[in-house]
Amino acid sequence: MSLLFPTVDRASLRAGVRAMGPITVAIGVWGIVTGVAIVNAGMPEVTALVFSFTVFAGAAQLATLPLLAVGAPLPVVWVTAMLVNTRFVFFSATARRYFAHLPVAQRLVAGYLNGDLPFAMFLRHHGDDEAHGTPQQYGYFFGLTGVNWAVWHVASVVGILLGGLAPAQWGLDLAASLALLGVLVPMAERLPPLAGVVVAAVLSVLLVDVPMRLGLLVAIVAGVAVAVVAEVGSSRRAVAGGAS
Amino acid sequence: VNGFTDWTYMAIAIGGLTVITFLTRSAFFLLPSKVQLPPAWDRALRHAPACALAAIVAPSVLTRDHQPFIAWDNHQLWAVLVAVPVFVRWRSMTVLIGVGMAVFTLLRLI
Repeated sequence: MSLLFPTVDRASLRAGVRAMGPITVAIGVWGIVTGVAIVNAGMPEVTALVFSFTVFAGAAQLATLPLLAVGAPLPVVWVTAMLVNTRFVFFSATARRYFAHLPVAQRLVAGYLNGDLPFAMFLRHHGDDEAHGTPQQYGYFFGLTGVNWAVWHVASVVGILLGGLAPAQWGLDLAASLALLGVLVPMAERLPPLAGVVVAAVLSVLLVDVPMRLGLLVAIVAGVAVAVVAEVGSSRRAVAGGAS
Repeated sequence: VNGFTDWTYMAIAIGGLTVITFLTRSAFFLLPSKVQLPPAWDRALRHAPACALAAIVAPSVLTRDHQPFIAWDNHQLWAVLVAVPVFVRWRSMTVLIGVGMAVFTLLRLI
Protein backbone atom coordinates (compact mmCIF):
# COMPACT_ATOMS: atom_id res chain seq x y z
CA MET A 1 0.00 0.00 0.00
CA SER A 2 1.18 3.49 -0.64
CA LEU A 3 -0.16 6.97 -0.21
CA LEU A 4 -0.56 7.68 -3.91
CA PHE A 5 -1.46 4.34 -5.47
CA PRO A 6 -3.89 1.52 -4.60
CA THR A 7 -2.64 -2.07 -4.41
CA VAL A 8 -1.97 -3.41 -7.88
CA ASP A 9 -1.56 -6.89 -9.34
CA ARG A 10 1.98 -7.07 -10.72
CA ALA A 11 1.18 -9.38 -13.63
CA SER A 12 -1.58 -7.00 -14.76
CA LEU A 13 0.81 -4.08 -14.40
CA ARG A 14 3.24 -5.81 -16.76
CA ALA A 15 0.37 -6.64 -19.14
CA GLY A 16 -0.58 -2.95 -19.21
CA VAL A 17 3.00 -1.92 -19.94
CA ARG A 18 3.23 -4.48 -22.76
CA ALA A 19 -0.15 -3.44 -24.22
CA MET A 20 1.20 0.08 -24.69
CA GLY A 21 4.07 -1.23 -26.83
CA PRO A 22 3.10 -0.16 -30.35
CA ILE A 23 1.12 2.85 -29.10
CA THR A 24 4.18 4.43 -27.53
CA VAL A 25 5.05 5.46 -31.10
CA ALA A 26 1.88 7.56 -31.16
CA ILE A 27 2.54 9.14 -27.80
CA GLY A 28 6.20 9.69 -28.57
CA VAL A 29 5.58 11.44 -31.87
CA TRP A 30 2.70 13.45 -30.43
CA GLY A 31 4.88 14.54 -27.51
CA ILE A 32 7.75 15.57 -29.80
CA VAL A 33 5.37 17.52 -32.06
CA THR A 34 3.91 19.31 -29.04
CA GLY A 35 7.36 20.13 -27.63
CA VAL A 36 8.53 21.47 -30.99
CA ALA A 37 5.37 23.57 -31.37
CA ILE A 38 5.80 25.09 -27.91
CA VAL A 39 9.39 26.16 -28.50
CA ASN A 40 8.68 27.33 -32.05
CA ALA A 41 5.91 29.57 -30.70
CA GLY A 42 8.68 31.41 -28.85
CA MET A 43 8.38 30.09 -25.31
CA PRO A 44 11.80 30.02 -23.55
CA GLU A 45 13.04 26.44 -23.09
CA VAL A 46 13.02 26.50 -19.27
CA THR A 47 9.43 27.79 -19.18
CA ALA A 48 8.49 25.23 -21.83
CA LEU A 49 9.86 22.38 -19.67
CA VAL A 50 7.90 23.55 -16.60
CA PHE A 51 4.79 24.08 -18.77
CA SER A 52 5.07 20.56 -20.17
CA PHE A 53 5.70 18.75 -16.88
CA THR A 54 3.01 20.47 -14.82
CA VAL A 55 0.18 20.88 -17.32
CA PHE A 56 0.51 17.40 -18.95
CA ALA A 57 -2.26 17.87 -21.52
CA GLY A 58 -1.06 18.18 -25.11
CA ALA A 59 -4.23 19.57 -26.68
CA ALA A 60 -4.76 22.12 -23.88
CA GLN A 61 -1.10 23.19 -24.09
CA LEU A 62 -1.33 23.76 -27.84
CA ALA A 63 -4.65 25.60 -27.49
CA THR A 64 -3.42 27.99 -24.79
CA LEU A 65 -0.04 28.61 -26.46
CA PRO A 66 -1.14 31.44 -28.79
CA LEU A 67 -3.05 33.04 -25.91
CA LEU A 68 -0.03 32.94 -23.58
CA ALA A 69 2.16 34.31 -26.37
CA VAL A 70 0.17 37.55 -26.52
CA GLY A 71 -0.36 37.73 -22.75
CA ALA A 72 -4.13 37.13 -23.02
CA PRO A 73 -6.19 37.71 -19.83
CA LEU A 74 -5.72 34.73 -17.47
CA PRO A 75 -9.44 33.84 -17.24
CA VAL A 76 -9.47 33.42 -21.05
CA VAL A 77 -6.40 31.16 -20.88
CA TRP A 78 -7.92 29.05 -18.10
CA VAL A 79 -11.40 28.76 -19.61
CA THR A 80 -9.84 27.66 -22.90
CA ALA A 81 -7.87 24.93 -21.13
CA MET A 82 -10.99 23.80 -19.27
CA LEU A 83 -13.01 23.54 -22.47
CA VAL A 84 -10.30 21.59 -24.27
CA ASN A 85 -10.02 19.30 -21.23
CA THR A 86 -13.77 18.69 -20.98
CA ARG A 87 -13.33 15.29 -22.60
CA PHE A 88 -11.38 14.24 -19.51
CA VAL A 89 -14.42 15.17 -17.41
CA PHE A 90 -16.40 12.67 -19.52
CA PHE A 91 -13.65 10.08 -19.10
CA SER A 92 -13.67 10.61 -15.33
CA ALA A 93 -17.43 9.93 -15.26
CA THR A 94 -16.86 6.58 -17.00
CA ALA A 95 -13.79 5.68 -14.94
CA ARG A 96 -15.41 6.69 -11.67
CA ARG A 97 -16.80 3.27 -10.77
CA TYR A 98 -13.23 1.92 -10.68
CA PHE A 99 -11.81 4.69 -8.49
CA ALA A 100 -14.56 6.44 -6.50
CA HIS A 101 -13.96 4.57 -3.22
CA LEU A 102 -10.19 5.26 -3.05
CA PRO A 103 -8.62 7.94 -0.78
CA VAL A 104 -8.63 11.43 -2.32
CA ALA A 105 -4.87 11.51 -3.00
CA GLN A 106 -5.08 8.24 -4.96
CA ARG A 107 -8.08 9.52 -6.93
CA LEU A 108 -6.20 12.68 -7.88
CA VAL A 109 -3.18 10.68 -9.05
CA ALA A 110 -5.36 8.30 -11.08
CA GLY A 111 -7.19 11.26 -12.66
CA TYR A 112 -3.96 13.10 -13.44
CA LEU A 113 -2.54 10.04 -15.20
CA ASN A 114 -5.69 9.28 -17.20
CA GLY A 115 -4.97 10.17 -20.84
CA ASP A 116 -6.85 9.74 -24.14
CA LEU A 117 -4.95 6.71 -25.39
CA PRO A 118 -4.44 4.70 -22.19
CA PHE A 119 -8.06 5.21 -21.19
CA ALA A 120 -9.29 3.99 -24.57
CA MET A 121 -7.07 0.91 -24.09
CA PHE A 122 -8.28 0.38 -20.53
CA LEU A 123 -11.95 0.41 -21.57
CA ARG A 124 -11.25 -2.08 -24.35
CA HIS A 125 -9.84 -4.50 -21.79
CA HIS A 126 -11.90 -3.84 -18.64
CA GLY A 127 -14.96 -1.91 -19.89
CA ASP A 128 -17.32 -4.88 -19.45
CA ASP A 129 -16.09 -6.12 -16.05
CA GLU A 130 -18.73 -6.91 -13.44
CA ALA A 131 -16.51 -6.07 -10.46
CA HIS A 132 -14.84 -2.67 -10.16
CA GLY A 133 -11.71 -1.64 -8.29
CA THR A 134 -9.80 -4.95 -8.48
CA PRO A 135 -5.97 -5.10 -8.19
CA GLN A 136 -5.95 -6.49 -11.76
CA GLN A 137 -7.75 -3.41 -13.08
CA TYR A 138 -5.50 -1.06 -11.13
CA GLY A 139 -2.42 -2.93 -12.33
CA TYR A 140 -3.48 -2.69 -15.96
CA PHE A 141 -4.50 0.96 -15.58
CA PHE A 142 -1.23 2.07 -13.99
CA GLY A 143 0.79 -0.01 -16.48
CA LEU A 144 -0.91 1.80 -19.36
CA THR A 145 -0.93 5.27 -17.84
CA GLY A 146 2.59 4.96 -16.39
CA VAL A 147 4.06 4.21 -19.82
CA ASN A 148 1.94 6.99 -21.33
CA TRP A 149 3.19 9.49 -18.74
CA ALA A 150 6.86 8.54 -19.07
CA VAL A 151 6.92 8.40 -22.87
CA TRP A 152 4.99 11.65 -23.18
CA HIS A 153 7.37 13.56 -20.94
CA VAL A 154 10.55 12.15 -22.48
CA ALA A 155 9.18 12.97 -25.94
CA SER A 156 8.11 16.52 -24.98
CA VAL A 157 11.56 17.21 -23.56
CA VAL A 158 13.15 15.86 -26.77
CA GLY A 159 10.80 18.07 -28.81
CA ILE A 160 11.55 21.14 -26.68
CA LEU A 161 15.32 20.61 -26.90
CA LEU A 162 15.27 19.81 -30.63
CA GLY A 163 13.05 22.81 -31.30
CA GLY A 164 13.08 23.65 -34.96
CA LEU A 165 15.55 20.95 -36.01
CA ALA A 166 12.86 18.80 -37.67
CA PRO A 167 11.45 20.91 -40.51
CA ALA A 168 7.65 21.17 -40.65
CA GLN A 169 7.53 19.81 -44.20
CA TRP A 170 8.67 16.39 -42.99
CA GLY A 171 5.12 15.95 -41.73
CA LEU A 172 5.86 14.79 -38.17
CA ASP A 173 2.34 15.85 -37.27
CA LEU A 174 1.05 13.32 -39.81
CA ALA A 175 2.99 10.57 -38.03
CA ALA A 176 1.19 11.55 -34.82
CA SER A 177 -2.20 11.51 -36.59
CA LEU A 178 -1.49 8.09 -38.12
CA ALA A 179 -0.53 6.70 -34.73
CA LEU A 180 -3.75 8.03 -33.17
CA LEU A 181 -5.70 6.44 -36.05
CA GLY A 182 -4.04 3.15 -35.14
CA VAL A 183 -5.85 3.31 -31.80
CA LEU A 184 -9.06 4.82 -33.14
CA VAL A 185 -9.74 2.45 -36.05
CA PRO A 186 -10.09 -0.75 -33.96
CA MET A 187 -12.53 1.09 -31.66
CA ALA A 188 -14.71 2.16 -34.59
CA GLU A 189 -15.29 -1.16 -36.29
CA ARG A 190 -18.81 -1.65 -34.93
CA LEU A 191 -21.61 0.55 -36.25
CA PRO A 192 -22.62 2.58 -33.16
CA PRO A 193 -19.12 3.91 -32.35
CA LEU A 194 -18.33 4.30 -36.07
CA ALA A 195 -21.38 6.56 -36.54
CA GLY A 196 -20.25 8.66 -33.56
CA VAL A 197 -16.67 8.83 -34.79
CA VAL A 198 -17.73 10.00 -38.28
CA VAL A 199 -19.98 12.71 -36.84
CA ALA A 200 -17.29 13.86 -34.41
CA ALA A 201 -14.70 13.98 -37.21
CA VAL A 202 -16.93 15.94 -39.63
CA LEU A 203 -18.04 18.46 -37.00
CA SER A 204 -14.53 18.98 -35.67
CA VAL A 205 -13.41 19.93 -39.20
CA LEU A 206 -16.39 22.18 -39.94
CA LEU A 207 -16.07 23.92 -36.56
CA VAL A 208 -12.29 24.21 -36.57
CA ASP A 209 -12.40 28.01 -36.60
CA VAL A 210 -14.70 28.34 -33.58
CA PRO A 211 -12.81 30.17 -30.79
CA MET A 212 -11.40 28.42 -27.71
CA ARG A 213 -11.55 25.01 -29.40
CA LEU A 214 -15.27 24.89 -28.62
CA GLY A 215 -15.69 22.96 -31.88
CA LEU A 216 -13.80 20.05 -30.31
CA LEU A 217 -16.28 19.92 -27.45
CA VAL A 218 -19.36 20.19 -29.71
CA ALA A 219 -17.95 17.47 -31.98
CA ILE A 220 -17.39 15.05 -29.07
CA VAL A 221 -20.82 15.65 -27.53
CA ALA A 222 -22.58 15.24 -30.90
CA GLY A 223 -20.52 12.13 -31.70
CA VAL A 224 -21.39 10.50 -28.37
CA ALA A 225 -25.09 11.35 -28.88
CA VAL A 226 -25.13 9.81 -32.36
CA ALA A 227 -23.31 6.69 -31.12
CA VAL A 228 -25.94 6.27 -28.38
CA VAL A 229 -28.82 6.68 -30.84
CA ALA A 230 -27.18 4.17 -33.19
CA GLU A 231 -26.71 1.76 -30.28
CA VAL A 232 -30.34 2.03 -29.17
CA GLY A 233 -31.44 1.53 -32.80
CA SER A 234 -29.27 -1.53 -33.34
CA SER A 235 -30.31 -3.17 -30.06
CA ARG A 236 -34.00 -2.57 -30.94
CA ARG A 237 -33.47 -4.28 -34.29
CA ALA A 238 -31.69 -7.14 -32.52
CA VAL A 239 -34.64 -7.55 -30.13
CA ALA A 240 -37.17 -7.38 -32.98
CA GLY A 241 -35.15 -9.88 -35.01
CA GLY A 242 -34.98 -12.27 -32.06
CA ALA A 243 -38.75 -12.13 -31.51
CA SER A 244 -39.75 -12.82 -35.11
CA VAL B 1 3.03 42.25 -25.68
CA ASN B 2 4.87 38.95 -25.16
CA GLY B 3 3.39 36.88 -22.34
CA PHE B 4 6.19 34.32 -22.49
CA THR B 5 8.81 36.69 -21.07
CA ASP B 6 6.61 38.05 -18.26
CA TRP B 7 7.64 35.67 -15.46
CA THR B 8 4.86 36.57 -13.01
CA TYR B 9 2.20 36.18 -15.67
CA MET B 10 3.60 32.81 -16.82
CA ALA B 11 3.94 31.51 -13.24
CA ILE B 12 0.30 32.33 -12.40
CA ALA B 13 -0.92 31.05 -15.78
CA ILE B 14 0.94 27.73 -15.51
CA GLY B 15 -0.06 27.30 -11.85
CA GLY B 16 -3.72 27.74 -12.81
CA LEU B 17 -3.40 25.37 -15.77
CA THR B 18 -1.90 22.71 -13.49
CA VAL B 19 -4.88 22.98 -11.12
CA ILE B 20 -7.22 22.74 -14.13
CA THR B 21 -5.43 19.60 -15.34
CA PHE B 22 -6.07 17.90 -11.98
CA LEU B 23 -9.63 19.15 -11.57
CA THR B 24 -10.90 18.25 -15.05
CA ARG B 25 -9.24 14.84 -15.12
CA SER B 26 -10.45 13.91 -11.66
CA ALA B 27 -13.79 15.77 -11.84
CA PHE B 28 -16.17 12.85 -11.26
CA PHE B 29 -13.70 11.00 -9.03
CA LEU B 30 -14.12 13.77 -6.47
CA LEU B 31 -17.86 13.20 -5.98
CA PRO B 32 -18.67 11.23 -2.81
CA SER B 33 -18.65 7.51 -3.65
CA LYS B 34 -22.30 7.18 -2.54
CA VAL B 35 -23.44 9.30 -5.48
CA GLN B 36 -24.35 7.00 -8.37
CA LEU B 37 -24.41 7.99 -12.02
CA PRO B 38 -27.37 6.74 -14.06
CA PRO B 39 -26.29 3.58 -15.97
CA ALA B 40 -27.43 5.18 -19.26
CA TRP B 41 -24.79 7.91 -18.73
CA ASP B 42 -22.15 5.32 -18.16
CA ARG B 43 -22.98 3.53 -21.41
CA ALA B 44 -23.12 6.76 -23.39
CA LEU B 45 -19.82 8.10 -22.09
CA ARG B 46 -17.99 4.93 -23.05
CA HIS B 47 -18.09 6.32 -26.59
CA ALA B 48 -16.34 9.53 -25.47
CA PRO B 49 -12.72 8.35 -25.94
CA ALA B 50 -13.28 7.25 -29.57
CA CYS B 51 -15.16 10.46 -30.42
CA ALA B 52 -12.48 12.55 -28.71
CA LEU B 53 -9.69 10.86 -30.72
CA ALA B 54 -11.67 11.46 -33.94
CA ALA B 55 -12.18 15.13 -33.08
CA ILE B 56 -8.44 15.51 -32.42
CA VAL B 57 -7.20 13.68 -35.53
CA ALA B 58 -9.67 14.95 -38.15
CA PRO B 59 -8.77 18.68 -37.99
CA SER B 60 -5.09 17.81 -38.05
CA VAL B 61 -5.46 15.99 -41.38
CA LEU B 62 -8.40 17.81 -42.97
CA THR B 63 -7.79 21.47 -42.17
CA ARG B 64 -5.12 24.04 -42.92
CA ASP B 65 -4.91 27.53 -41.41
CA HIS B 66 -8.23 26.99 -39.60
CA GLN B 67 -10.11 26.19 -42.82
CA PRO B 68 -11.37 22.81 -44.08
CA PHE B 69 -8.78 21.54 -46.58
CA ILE B 70 -10.22 18.72 -48.68
CA ALA B 71 -8.35 18.96 -51.98
CA TRP B 72 -6.25 16.96 -54.43
CA ASP B 73 -3.07 18.50 -53.05
CA ASN B 74 -3.78 17.55 -49.42
CA HIS B 75 -0.98 14.99 -49.19
CA GLN B 76 -1.84 14.04 -45.63
CA LEU B 77 -5.36 13.06 -46.73
CA TRP B 78 -3.98 10.73 -49.43
CA ALA B 79 -1.55 9.21 -46.97
CA VAL B 80 -4.40 8.42 -44.56
CA LEU B 81 -6.67 7.08 -47.34
CA VAL B 82 -3.97 4.60 -48.36
CA ALA B 83 -2.61 3.72 -44.93
CA VAL B 84 -5.86 3.04 -43.05
CA PRO B 85 -7.12 0.21 -45.34
CA VAL B 86 -3.64 -1.33 -45.21
CA PHE B 87 -3.83 -1.12 -41.41
CA VAL B 88 -7.30 -2.70 -41.32
CA ARG B 89 -5.84 -5.62 -43.30
CA TRP B 90 -2.47 -6.02 -41.55
CA ARG B 91 -3.21 -4.75 -37.99
CA SER B 92 0.23 -3.27 -37.50
CA MET B 93 0.87 0.20 -36.12
CA THR B 94 4.35 0.18 -37.66
CA VAL B 95 2.94 -0.64 -41.12
CA LEU B 96 0.29 2.08 -40.68
CA ILE B 97 2.82 4.80 -39.90
CA GLY B 98 5.36 3.48 -42.41
CA VAL B 99 2.91 3.35 -45.34
CA GLY B 100 1.33 6.70 -44.45
CA MET B 101 4.64 8.52 -44.15
CA ALA B 102 5.94 6.87 -47.35
CA VAL B 103 2.89 8.02 -49.36
CA PHE B 104 3.12 11.52 -47.86
CA THR B 105 6.85 11.88 -48.54
CA LEU B 106 6.48 10.55 -52.08
CA LEU B 107 3.69 13.03 -52.90
CA ARG B 108 5.65 15.85 -51.29
CA LEU B 109 8.76 15.18 -53.38
CA ILE B 110 7.13 14.65 -56.80
